Amino acid sequence: MIALAIGLPTLSGLACLVAPKNIRRILVYVTAAVLVGTSILIYNSGGFVYSPNESFELVVVGLDILLLLYFLYIGYVNRNLPTLALALAQLLPIGYYEYVAFGTHTTPTLLVDGISSIMSLIVSIVGSAVAIYALDYMVEHEEEVGSLGASSVKAASQGSFFFYLIMLLGAMHGVVFSNSLYWLYFFWEVTTLSCYQLIRHDGTEIAVQNGLRALWMGLVGGVALVGSIFIGHFHFDTISMSALIGKNPTPLLYLAFALMAIAAFTKSAQLPFQSWLLGAMVAPTPVSALLHSSTMVNAGVYLILRFVPAIEGSVLTYGIALVGIFTFMFTAIIALNQKYSKAILAYSTIGNLGLMIFCAAMNTPLSYSAAVILLIFHSMSKGLLFLCAGIVENRLHTRYIEEWQGLLGKLPLTSSVMITGIISMILPLFGVLLGKWAAIGAVSSAAFFPALVMITMMVIGSSATTLFWAKWLGNFTVLPLTEREYKFEQLPSGYIFSMFFLLSLDIVASLGVGLIIQNVVCPAIASNYACVWTAGILGISSQLGSFMIIPIWAAIAAVVLLGNYLYKSKGGIIMPAYLSGANVEGSPTSFRTTADTTVEFNVAGMFFDPEINEGRWTPWGVVTGVLMNLLVIALVVL
Amino acid sequence: MVNTLLTDYVLPLAFIIVAPLLGGLLVGLDRKITARMQSRMGPPITQPFYDFIKLWGKAPFLSSRFQPMLAVGYFVFIFTAVIMLAFKQDLLLTLFTLTLADVCLIVSAYNSKSPYSNLGGRRELLSMLAYEPLMLLTAISIQVVTGSFLVRDVFTYGKPLLLVIPAAYAVQQLVLIIDMKKSPFDVAGSGHAHQELVRGVYTEFSGYTLALVELGHWTKIAFIMGLISLFWAQNLLIGVGLSLLLWFISIVADNIYPRLNWETMVRTSWTLGFILILANFVVVTILGVI
Amino acid sequence: MKLMTTARLKSPWVLHFDCGSCNGCDIEILAALTPKFDAERFGIVNIGDPKQADILLVTGPANHRNKEVLKNLYDQMPDPKAVIVVGTCGCTGGIFHNCPNVLGGVDNVIPVDVYVPGCAARPEQIVDGVVLALQKLAEMSEKMEGN
Repeated sequence: MIALAIGLPTLSGLACLVAPKNIRRILVYVTAAVLVGTSILIYNSGGFVYSPNESFELVVVGLDILLLLYFLYIGYVNRNLPTLALALAQLLPIGYYEYVAFGTHTTPTLLVDGISSIMSLIVSIVGSAVAIYALDYMVEHEEEVGSLGASSVKAASQGSFFFYLIMLLGAMHGVVFSNSLYWLYFFWEVTTLSCYQLIRHDGTEIAVQNGLRALWMGLVGGVALVGSIFIGHFHFDTISMSALIGKNPTPLLYLAFALMAIAAFTKSAQLPFQSWLLGAMVAPTPVSALLHSSTMVNAGVYLILRFVPAIEGSVLTYGIALVGIFTFMFTAIIALNQKYSKAILAYSTIGNLGLMIFCAAMNTPLSYSAAVILLIFHSMSKGLLFLCAGIVENRLHTRYIEEWQGLLGKLPLTSSVMITGIISMILPLFGVLLGKWAAIGAVSSAAFFPALVMITMMVIGSSATTLFWAKWLGNFTVLPLTEREYKFEQLPSGYIFSMFFLLSLDIVASLGVGLIIQNVVCPAIASNYACVWTAGILGISSQLGSFMIIPIWAAIAAVVLLGNYLYKSKGGIIMPAYLSGANVEGSPTSFRTTADTTVEFNVAGMFFDPEINEGRWTPWGVVTGVLMNLLVIALVVL
Repeated sequence: MVNTLLTDYVLPLAFIIVAPLLGGLLVGLDRKITARMQSRMGPPITQPFYDFIKLWGKAPFLSSRFQPMLAVGYFVFIFTAVIMLAFKQDLLLTLFTLTLADVCLIVSAYNSKSPYSNLGGRRELLSMLAYEPLMLLTAISIQVVTGSFLVRDVFTYGKPLLLVIPAAYAVQQLVLIIDMKKSPFDVAGSGHAHQELVRGVYTEFSGYTLALVELGHWTKIAFIMGLISLFWAQNLLIGVGLSLLLWFISIVADNIYPRLNWETMVRTSWTLGFILILANFVVVTILGVI
Repeated sequence: MKLMTTARLKSPWVLHFDCGSCNGCDIEILAALTPKFDAERFGIVNIGDPKQADILLVTGPANHRNKEVLKNLYDQMPDPKAVIVVGTCGCTGGIFHNCPNVLGGVDNVIPVDVYVPGCAARPEQIVDGVVLALQKLAEMSEKMEGN
């Protein structure tokens, strides 16, 4: 079964590389269906271990060496020093390791438990939705890019795009199921490769540059993982994650975990590694939706979730939490200043990942489960938002959100779904806010002084988050005051399917959040953390309070019914805006001014220039991030 | 048995039903007291209710077909928050429900492409930015002290919250000033007899939609009063007195201060809020009260 | 419904528009809001938004430049509404009534309910005018409610 989960996407990805368009469609659909089915089966199996034949170990080693050589080659061809250096920094140690430890076979090699099966479900379900979306999207994208002129496009083919996209799903399964640190490292690097290829897909100068940046930052993570493999093998004589987690705490063990944390930070774009994710937004939207919001970046959070039970009660765990919560606050503030749709979504993703890492690293039953809840719901919501953003971008040919003003009138269907997506991120109707609510509860469980800092960052981040989402939401609805017949726009079936699939999944999951927490999340973390949640009819409660989601949905139902009733019964004439009496007949957005000229007014968004300036603040964020990462390493001695 | 019936059902229900009316009366009293401070006679205390009924009877003008639903949303979600508070539910969730209400109002303000309304909506967002941290910090303070976010646990805590986290009480003053739309922080749309950006966030409302927004405003005041009363939950009469004290200070501030700009509002709220509440934590931890 | 009419009478919100006046009448109108005369005790609030106003208080003569603005503001007021013209200029054009740019009284542009003459009209007279307008509003209200 695991072979199916890992192997099938790889094979069908390879097939996509060569297959013509129609067969590719069928391949993707079939792969998606089988993948989802496999994940469900794996989840239902209740967890197991599996160690494939020793010969597979050789296959993995061989592929890994090839991969590293390929990275070296990329660095050489593109004259990119960091890539070269980092690939070398991995190749040499791995070469040494293989020389010394050739043939060691870690058992169990593959491990399936609660957390990994949840991750597998997320990867399969959200990933499949995105892949189906990608089929239609790439058709439109090719037209877009083609219209830019042939010379700028050294684009890779559609086939290779789908190869890397689908293969990524397999690699992600490899990451979450690996118990051997070496296998995990290998699959980790495969995801980095996939990420690099997909970002540079368009072949433009900036795409290549950003792809390389994503590559070398990912390789930093790879080096860190190699470091932890070394510690594991040479000091503790094992590179089995489960074994390492069970060992007695010593500074060296903590160092191994700290290095894993650094790797997680690079993968999840925490400070100071956030710039690769922002640069990755030049990639086609399915890439952003899949890799950079709902799937690949979750690998970092997954790794942290994996080892954090072993460092419970230490100072190290607070250090890691600090990186997460600082990233959350920092990105929330910078997002207030962003004017491009995908930049806002990217910063929000980084922030939420930071929140997840914070929750996981706070290491209490409540916060750990909050991290898992956030993981599940954020993937759905963010994936959905990226999908919608891609559709809008293809139709409006711009990412500048000022030009997205009034989208509710231009693209009613897509913008309604997108508005619901934004609502799912900030309002208590959906699971993401439940995660945030639990996170706020988790903050106070810290020891005294860190708690003050964390409370401050959490509160600032939370308020800034609400603000930048709400102002974008408002911007969608700015419509000149005319009676309009809202005609839903035509969308390809792939779009409709993926959008509404994720949307309905999000709604159903949010309504049933109590059941999900009790029956999915709690059992998954049961081996390390007690379940502090109790599901009730109206919602869910923990020792810190209760989150009654059903009354709020009831309130919304009441609002919709009442509102509709009032509108139908009392009605109302739609009147133009108040413009001090200078309205112009027939033009709701103009007013009369001196010499009887007509001026059209516009309402613009609020971006806090010059108080918040990405260019000026980012260096400080990076410096702080570097310091905090060093702190994480330093804390191992405590 | 009868006692629990009273405290768990009858009184909360009474509060819920009475809350909007209570809020309206407070607004009326507010206008009367303001007038007396200005050596005027002022309107009768029941004036807000006359306003409400009159507005309901105006010929309906709308700025968009979504406006009725959003106006209803504003009132209903605040009312839901009141219900949750009355039944001693989770305070943090209640605050998030208030955010939901505010977003309805803001979206409605943005929905009409009107310069005044849009600027008002933007300023309402900034007001939210100013007081949301304060509310969150208050909720966190209560949770640190009583051990949970449930209002129920404030009642069973044993000590009046005012004596343990006075900073959170003080900070409520800022919240009240911003939410009552009083100077110096009435940037988004002032109370009656004041104008800011014409009517700010309320500019494009009229007739029954404005009536609903007014109703929501009253309910919100009642909610915050209820919240502040929790600071002496052991004897709710004292608690109500505490809330009326802050309410009265807001009226005085309104008559003394001019309107300040949004930067000052955000800066003041954040600085005072964070410093006071965090200092409170430090003091209380050192004294070993928690 | 008697309640509705009572409410309308007890809560007349005013929109004040200066059509071209010398500001003499405007000063008197503002004086009516000061503590000495205190129009707010009748529930009168100077709301600046026509969509929320019941009474339009106009000063100054109508002229070609502001007739559209006046009409626009009047149209943006929902029913029931009343118009009070304060000052001789607004009533008939006053001393400007022969000027080429002046249309004359405000009633050349919008229907007027109450005329308050004077140059400048006194606050007491203005308040009297409002009371008269309220009576007219009451009649309008009864008609609207179908009595």
